[in-house]
Amino acid sequence: MNGWILAATVELGGAGAAALWGVTTGPPARRVIAQNLTTSAVCPALLLLAQGYGRPSYVDLALLLALLGPVGTLVFARLLSDDLAGDSPSAWALTWAAAALGAAVVVALCVAGDPGRATVKLLVIGALLIGGNLIASRALAGGFRGVAGG
Amino acid sequence: MSDALTVVVLVLVAAAATAAVAQRDPARQALVLSFLGVLLAALFTVLQAPDVGLSQLAVGSALTPLLIMLSVRKVRRRGRSKEGPE
Repeated sequence: MNGWILAATVELGGAGAAALWGVTTGPPARRVIAQNLTTSAVCPALLLLAQGYGRPSYVDLALLLALLGPVGTLVFARLLSDDLAGDSPSAWALTWAAAALGAAVVVALCVAGDPGRATVKLLVIGALLIGGNLIASRALAGGFRGVAGG
Repeated sequence: MSDALTVVVLVLVAAAATAAVAQRDPARQALVLSFLGVLLAALFTVLQAPDVGLSQLAVGSALTPLLIMLSVRKVRRRGRSKEGPE
């Protein structure tokens, strides 16, 4: 077990347990926030695993998760908008902490690897992860009222 | 020693699956199910099956919750229209 896999274990265990606790307890607003944070928790772990196993092709999983995770959250934001109308769920401290975690992992992997196409791919994944997370959080907090309801 | 990662992910998957069964409201079940789908993809990656993980990710993170939430909304609307205007 090298350091990358150890980091992935700690990250996945801590953030996964926190997200599981949040998604199973509390009011719907809290559950949706925890579901949104799942993407930010698992995607950096997948990147760390790809580096730990020494298989660059595993990075594709993180790319797909960074693309589809916010889509899943937007589904809930759209179809649960009646339940979420009362208390607009927002946890900006948590959102920025998750974004900082993703950015830290991407920067660490970029420094560890050789510069080239892999670095560009990592940066694209990081931008997708953080951008998608911010858009999904804003949608949950009621930032796009024009498309809510239905 | 690298079994620690497998054990951590397996415990998380077992806990999430149990929690998904234990929820009462279908909408909340869909939320836990989406979390479980992402965790399963991580488990498949840890077990060195990233191709299975890719398809699990595509199905579990967005498609299954979308189908469940659409069905829940349709059922709720039908129940509301049968009871008459409220």
